[in-house]
Amino acid sequence: MSNSTTATIETEEIVESYSLLNTFGKVIKKESLKNASIYILEKAKSIVFACIGLTIFCGFWSLLSYYTKDSLPGPTVTLKVLYEMLSDPFYDYGPNDKGIGLQLFVSIKTVLLGFSLGSLFAIPFGILIGASSFFKKVFYPIVQFLKPVSPLAWFPIGLVVFKDTGMATIFIVFITSLWSTLINTSFGVSTIPQDHKNVAKAFGFSKWRYLTKVVFPYTLPHIITGLRLSISVAWLVIVAGEMLSGGAGIGFFVWDSWNALSLEKVISAIIIIGFVGIIFDGFFTMIENKVSYKA
Amino acid sequence: MSYLEIKDLEISFPTPKGKYIAVRDINLSIRKGEIISIIGHSGCGKSTIMNAIGGMLTPTGGSVVLDNKNIKGPGPDRGIVFQNYSLLPWLTVENNIFQAVDSVMDCSKAEKHEIVIKNLKMVNLFQHKDKLPGQLSGGMKQRVAIARAFAINPGVLLMDEPFGALDALTKGSMQLEVLKLWNLNNREKTIVMITHDIEEALFLSDRIVVLHNGPASTIREIVTVNLPRPRNKIEIVKTPEYIELRDHLLHLLTDHFSIEDMGVTYKN
Ligand SMILES: Nc1ncnc2c1ncn2[C@@H]1O[C@H](COP(=O)(O)OP(=O)(O)O)[C@@H](O)[C@H]1O
Ligand SMILES: [Mg+2]
Repeated sequence: MSNSTTATIETEEIVESYSLLNTFGKVIKKESLKNASIYILEKAKSIVFACIGLTIFCGFWSLLSYYTKDSLPGPTVTLKVLYEMLSDPFYDYGPNDKGIGLQLFVSIKTVLLGFSLGSLFAIPFGILIGASSFFKKVFYPIVQFLKPVSPLAWFPIGLVVFKDTGMATIFIVFITSLWSTLINTSFGVSTIPQDHKNVAKAFGFSKWRYLTKVVFPYTLPHIITGLRLSISVAWLVIVAGEMLSGGAGIGFFVWDSWNALSLEKVISAIIIIGFVGIIFDGFFTMIENKVSYKA
Repeated sequence: MSYLEIKDLEISFPTPKGKYIAVRDINLSIRKGEIISIIGHSGCGKSTIMNAIGGMLTPTGGSVVLDNKNIKGPGPDRGIVFQNYSLLPWLTVENNIFQAVDSVMDCSKAEKHEIVIKNLKMVNLFQHKDKLPGQLSGGMKQRVAIARAFAINPGVLLMDEPFGALDALTKGSMQLEVLKLWNLNNREKTIVMITHDIEEALFLSDRIVVLHNGPASTIREIVTVNLPRPRNKIEIVKTPEYIELRDHLLHLLTDHFSIEDMGVTYKN
């Protein structure tokens, strides 16, 4: 359903720009060439600025490493270790010695599984709470009560229920993924303008038509924002969760490296975790931009 | 009993300061095929009355009866053109109309698409059918809303300031389209429209309902327009009957709005 909505909006944009291109031909081409060069210049600028920030950051890092007499490894040593890790990411020498790629794969799989399950629950439930003041009165207090609880507190409950650490980790990601999506979705649904509701009422839309042609398209940008926030927190939580559950995953890798006193590996893992976080966020930001419409 | 009967209609809204009575004591009998205009100052309750006929609002007093049935909600027998277009911004022009047709009409998909295309052509928007409402001007949006209401082929057309956002030329041709449609259907479609425009009301209507100012607005007068049809827009304005009616309506609508009434004194 989400795919089809995205697709229509996409084609709209394409059709529009295509007809513009036809009408104005050369003018547009010149304009777009100019726009492209401006765009590249802007991108280059922002990369330069990011590099300045990175240099300052590495400077402080080196300084800190220097003052701790290298018990905190500096950037060069760390990057060397990171390079080694990345050059052979998929080795598997038994349960306690796996390549970073395999560990990352486990974590991402857990996050995506828990996140998907959580979203599958949170989106319909959010729609329900947003659409009905009765459901809102009944369930919203529980949501507000449970939302600030650290997801890690759910770990023992997951263990008791599922009797399996892997499942318990998925469970805490599931719980984590609920709140932002649920709250954003219900907010979206509850703010559907009266005008849109009037259309559905005046032309006798069925429940299904109302859901798919009014509620869902209107709420979609809110849902995507919720999903983006949810997956960010889920990715935060998975690292801590795997430290608790042990066995596999990037969190376990951090903990294991710390026990092996390899801070280079710990810091390398932190860098990788950050990158994956950026990718998740970027992915949903991209969808967010795609589904937003002009009123 | 007449086709559309409004009896002792009262509509009030609950507000934080208590009950706000928008309109009361509204009595109006409309024949099948009549064109009625409701005219009055902004905020006097025109939209409120229309929403009661459309079934979008439940009367707090009195009743609205259409074809011997008490109106309890919206229905396919009435097509509404809302004051603020009310298009769905994520659907193309074509799809906005199609969703309404698909929801209301009982025919094959191909026939439904045919209906949509026919109505798009009627309002001259066929070449814009793939655009989103956000890419249209106000007047174009209004025409989509009109096409959507026409497309479901209702017995009663309810139009809330349908030509308000249109330029004079488009407005003229849309008015003719409405009359054309009305004639094509053997003048059997009942049309209730709201307008601010006295000339428009006189050109289109059989009767004009003039409202008092709110709150608790009532009907001030119902003016019968006995001008023969078809009316020629250029010729009609020269007739003494037209001039008399226009002056009368102008008087009804403006007599409380002399400069003295507004507390302005003129010093020499
Ligand atoms: N939902 C509502 N709640 C409270 N007051 C309303 C509501 N709808 C309309 N009104 C009030 O009723 C009066 C008539 O409104 P309306 O029928 O929209 O006027 P108009 O003649 O301009 O169409 C106005 O004073 C308006 O503020
Ligand atoms: Mg109004």
